[in-house]
Amino acid sequence: MNHFTTIMKRELRIGFRNPWAYSFLALFVIFMLSMLLIHQQGYSSGYSGVTGMLMNLTLYLLPLITLMLGAFSITGEKEDGSAALLYTYRLSMTSWLGGKYIGLLLVLISIVTIGYSVTGIISSFTASGFTASVYALLFIFAVLLIAAFLAIAMVIGAIASTRWQALTYVIGIWFFFIIGWSPIMIALLGQLPYLWIKPLLTIMTFFNPAEWIRVYIIAALGGGMIVGPEYYQWITWVTHPSGHIAFTLLTIGYVLGSLALAGWLWKRGRYRG
Amino acid sequence: MDNVLQLTDVSKVIAQKQLVAPFSLSFTAGQIVALCGGNGAGKSSIIRMIAGLSKPSTGSITLNELTIEAQPEQYLSAIGYMPDDYQFTGSFTAYESLKFWGELKQQSTERVRELLALVGLQDTGKKKVHQFSKGMRQRLLLAQALLSKPALLLLDEPTNGLDPYWMKQFVSIIDETARQGTLVLFSTHQLQVAEAAADHIVLLDQGQIKLSSSYSDIKQQYGEEGIQKAYEQLFWGEEGPMKRVRS
Repeated sequence: MNHFTTIMKRELRIGFRNPWAYSFLALFVIFMLSMLLIHQQGYSSGYSGVTGMLMNLTLYLLPLITLMLGAFSITGEKEDGSAALLYTYRLSMTSWLGGKYIGLLLVLISIVTIGYSVTGIISSFTASGFTASVYALLFIFAVLLIAAFLAIAMVIGAIASTRWQALTYVIGIWFFFIIGWSPIMIALLGQLPYLWIKPLLTIMTFFNPAEWIRVYIIAALGGGMIVGPEYYQWITWVTHPSGHIAFTLLTIGYVLGSLALAGWLWKRGRYRG
Repeated sequence: MDNVLQLTDVSKVIAQKQLVAPFSLSFTAGQIVALCGGNGAGKSSIIRMIAGLSKPSTGSITLNELTIEAQPEQYLSAIGYMPDDYQFTGSFTAYESLKFWGELKQQSTERVRELLALVGLQDTGKKKVHQFSKGMRQRLLLAQALLSKPALLLLDEPTNGLDPYWMKQFVSIIDETARQGTLVLFSTHQLQVAEAAADHIVLLDQGQIKLSSSYSDIKQQYGEEGIQKAYEQLFWGEEGPMKRVRS
């Protein structure tokens, strides 16, 4: 068995044996069922106020949980001395960070899948549940958020020395990307000439995975108008077949880029004791 | 005999504080070397530098003519390392923990079971490692370091938390390991362990090597009390060792 698989299997074991996984699962199922009850109060197809609310609440919950679990997993190994011991095991950075990333990703995706499955089964017994296509896109939205923010968590884990330090970074990054992004963009871009706003907003959006994943899924749900005129070009692009390929490449590139950065930071810090 | 481990002008400075003063040492296969000294003497710093966890500020370290900078994979594959500050927090049993490390070192489950039996943990069943006593954890870490029959066994305070029976067992385990050609280098502040196990003693104080000599030479120079006497003379001087104060 290669190192990558060994590390990944260990991460899966740790993940499924830890109480936090089940606490998060319970929280996520309750959250999903609440959304289903709200949705049943009025039928709508495609992008609606309820799907928007579900997306926004997913945006608050999933990145925070993912960042915390991912970053704590890495800093925990540093604090426990496990990282130091594994340094002496000839582990390549790909095996170490890659194995941890995929292991954690599978744990988190399993939790989200169970949450969506429970809600989906209950929803199938009701007349006004989510349509299958909307439900599938919302699930993809959750998975993409986990994939992107888990990669950021690896970077935080590589930088922070302790869990407390990691928690500080996690809250800061979560607040910046999820809560603070819109007001900061409005405040900053409002100071610039009108013609600069659209291109700059497009560039800035690439720096925030929560933002480009959200815009993509909203456009795919047919609610592109809701994101405002600055994103019209994005909506045209996303709905084009090449848009899906570009989006997939962007997501993979973001994840791989973040993991490469985490690996570089990890190696850089190795000899600093 | 050819040197397995060669340390040349090695020193460690962190934030302008000298943790280890420049020193040179070399050891051959099958030797058992004890690094002795009090807290902050520099024992762990030396072990961490040899294990590749910390880069020496000056000098070079070669293991079987390999350096960690030039041949990191070969260098590390020749080392078995037991850390001093390891905390078991996961919900793993002794077998699962050792199997994980064994898989990383391409060792069979038979080897894992053999080592668990060697350190007396074969009957711990489903008991999780974080519920183990300090001594049991130390034994598990020792088994981990022995997994791949390394050329260099690096043990940082291996006898901390061991009861007298396992301290004695530890001495015979490393003696047997050295007989098979492994160079064993361990740190300790328990002089009786160094006295019982080592055939070369390095005495450290505040990052300086005060004495590096074979056990037989120390015994010849300091008499039957050997290392204890040497330690007292080098570190306590006229003040003498700690004495009982209550009547």
